[in-house]
Amino acid sequence: MPLSQLKSPEDLERFLLENEGIAPRDLVPLPFPYQDWKDDPIPELTEDQRGRFEVGPDGVSAMRVPVPTTEEERDKLVAGFLDGLRKLLTKENNWTFLQPLMLSLENCVKCQTCAELCPIYTASGHAEIYRPTFRPEILRKIVSRYLKPGGGIFPKLRGTDIELTWDHIVRLAELSYRCTLCRRCAQACPVGVDNALITREIRKLFSQELGLNMPELHDVGTIKQLDTGSSTGMNPAGVKDIVEFAEDDIREKTGLDIKIPFDVKDADYLVMHNAGEFLSWPENLQAFAIILSVAGVKWTMASDLLGYDSVNYGLFYDDVQYSRIAIKHFEVAKNLNAKRMLVGECGHAHKALMPIADRVVPMELHVPVESALVLLEDLVVNEKIMLDPSRNEFPVTLHDPCNLTRSMGIVEPQRNIVRAICPQFREMEPHGVNNLCCGGGSGFAVGQSLNFPAWRTRVSGRLKYRQLLEAFDDCIEPETKKYVCAPCSNCKGQMRDLFTYYEAWDRCGMLYGGLVELVVNAMVDVREGFLEWNFN
Amino acid sequence: MDTVLLWWIWLAAALFVFGCGWRALNYIRAPEHVRWDLYPVAHEPGRDHGGSYLEQKDWWTQPREKSHWGEVEFMFEEIVLLRGVRVNNRKLWWGSLPFHWGLYLLVLTSMGLLVAALGLSSRLWLGLLALSGGVGGLLTAVGAAMLLIVRSQDPRLRPYTTPLDRLNLALLVALGGLSAAAAVVPGGMAEAAAAVGRLLRLRAPEVSLLLGLQMAVAALFIFYLPFTRMVHFFSKYFTYHAVRWDDRPVQAGSALERRLRGALGFGVDWSAEHIQTGKSWAEVATTMPEKPEDPGE
Repeated sequence: MPLSQLKSPEDLERFLLENEGIAPRDLVPLPFPYQDWKDDPIPELTEDQRGRFEVGPDGVSAMRVPVPTTEEERDKLVAGFLDGLRKLLTKENNWTFLQPLMLSLENCVKCQTCAELCPIYTASGHAEIYRPTFRPEILRKIVSRYLKPGGGIFPKLRGTDIELTWDHIVRLAELSYRCTLCRRCAQACPVGVDNALITREIRKLFSQELGLNMPELHDVGTIKQLDTGSSTGMNPAGVKDIVEFAEDDIREKTGLDIKIPFDVKDADYLVMHNAGEFLSWPENLQAFAIILSVAGVKWTMASDLLGYDSVNYGLFYDDVQYSRIAIKHFEVAKNLNAKRMLVGECGHAHKALMPIADRVVPMELHVPVESALVLLEDLVVNEKIMLDPSRNEFPVTLHDPCNLTRSMGIVEPQRNIVRAICPQFREMEPHGVNNLCCGGGSGFAVGQSLNFPAWRTRVSGRLKYRQLLEAFDDCIEPETKKYVCAPCSNCKGQMRDLFTYYEAWDRCGMLYGGLVELVVNAMVDVREGFLEWNFN
Repeated sequence: MDTVLLWWIWLAAALFVFGCGWRALNYIRAPEHVRWDLYPVAHEPGRDHGGSYLEQKDWWTQPREKSHWGEVEFMFEEIVLLRGVRVNNRKLWWGSLPFHWGLYLLVLTSMGLLVAALGLSSRLWLGLLALSGGVGGLLTAVGAAMLLIVRSQDPRLRPYTTPLDRLNLALLVALGGLSAAAAVVPGGMAEAAAAVGRLLRLRAPEVSLLLGLQMAVAALFIFYLPFTRMVHFFSKYFTYHAVRWDDRPVQAGSALERRLRGALGFGVDWSAEHIQTGKSWAEVATTMPEKPEDPGE
């Protein structure tokens, strides 16, 4: 349904309830060399899948919510949703976010100043369901209609004429997984309203009240992590094996004999990696080990349950799961008597372990936490490791993870490093705190269910990919090898899928990777050629 | 009729104070929340690039520097120039700017009338008030009319604009027009100052039809304002200072730590299986969940 047909607030419901999908022709076009690029449509679910799983208004399913089989079940879910909504607005159940939530629910003036800043809304060709105010507006209608006194009085006049059904709420649930929580909309809001926070709170309501969430974040995310120690399923013995392989690799590639320390008490730094790195990008783990060892830093990793995986997907959907994991992380650091925790290249782990944990973890468990980017900046800029920037003589651009920049204000350390070691560094526009999300934020990068990955590459990551092409527009031919530095595991996961779908290596010679890999590639103490220029 | 106006204005004023106070109190009494800062934070020394104190090595040992000037500078640009709307939504800004300036001037004029009612009623002062009231009223009317048109015509705004929003803007057009007219008629400000004086002494205002209408409509506006989104004139303080710019780290023994410790004792009654309802936050956060069934592919 085109936007021009929308006449009044009650028409918003039609957008929520009518499935039209996202047509490839509506997607924002990409520049050279993609002028002839044809996007495949996002695959529709099979009949069998549609019989089993609910879909969002765009025909996509991220949550795999089972289709209720009876009217009673539907009614029970609607009643549960309203119960959850009431709880969301009480201090006992939601002290963690009550004040910001109330402020954002009650003060949006619907000026739409935020809309054009949303990478998903703009990339989709302005699909109304992705407008940053769309989801919150539906929720506001429900709150006004069902929770506020006199909610049924003059509903048309007040724009609260909504008769809640299961279809409304399940589509709202799915839509809460079409926003990466990047908070560009909040940054643009003149009133200070945070519609991304409302989206997060919708996810939380569904998870904490109805047990509905994205399986990759919950069942094989936080639940698995609390059970086995890592959302990758890696147990303490497994991580030690992987580290031994990493030590062998380091020896083979660099000639350095480096021992990765485990469970050292009283270390200056307990290094917390996203365990996804160990399996998907082991060179990141290796590069950290090389830098810290060569610089003579007193550091350790932990083999206690959860101590080797800084992931905390609870941040994206569930305060209880978040708190459980955060507390475990700090207990590990306390047990080792570490002087501080050092967060590796993972944006959401930074936010989970630093600003958010600060007010959730009891003071007796507090251990100072520092970003690895800050330590690396000190080592590079103050020449505590010997570097030869000419080894990085290729075009490099820097991706800013939203959690590091917009949500934490860590902007310059990574830039100072790249400026020092990459002669051909160029910024993307916009960058820093105004960056564009990679499209894999808020856990999307691990979302592999049904047709969600196709949505993620075509829609949520589209603007980021366009931005990469623009950053390298003077050397976009595949013969010139170029590097997208993304100091975040989830961002790299999204880049991997984007680069595969858009054939970035073959068409443009673009490779992505972390920051420490660039540092090691320039280290004089290391044999040349740490970076391996191939995409697989 | 004058007596009705007297009590209507006092009722509206009382409800305005009560309503705004009640809403502000709701925000103030909300428990400490987790940090949800958003950069750039205006008081940070690194605000030009959006940086925070977390960019410093051993940040917890470094002295905290806060620039109140940075906050003032930001607020000035946001409140006076509507910077955010100007940068990201220029079409709306053309109406929003005169509308807000108009309201600011009308508020200043009202305060000036209070001063005049208390004794400072020189010709110069009343002339200044006539100027600010006239210009303010005109800007309010023009701005509100522009917003009304944009919100009714623009397909991006129309579905998010309720009939009540349109009524509100129409009322503001009327208020602006009446205020401008009442300010510029000869002797208008002297009449208004005298009426305010009588209202303060709980006496009927004894005003002309024009001024009476203006006062009645103004009272209607402030009567319902606290129950609308227009409270952002004060709630914006909380969205910025209590959320976006609240980057205080917890210190042992601080009031913040005591309040957070209290929150950990709140009872939780979320119903999902992985949460043990009926326990406190501290207990739930340290108890492991049940493993769910895999829904399959």
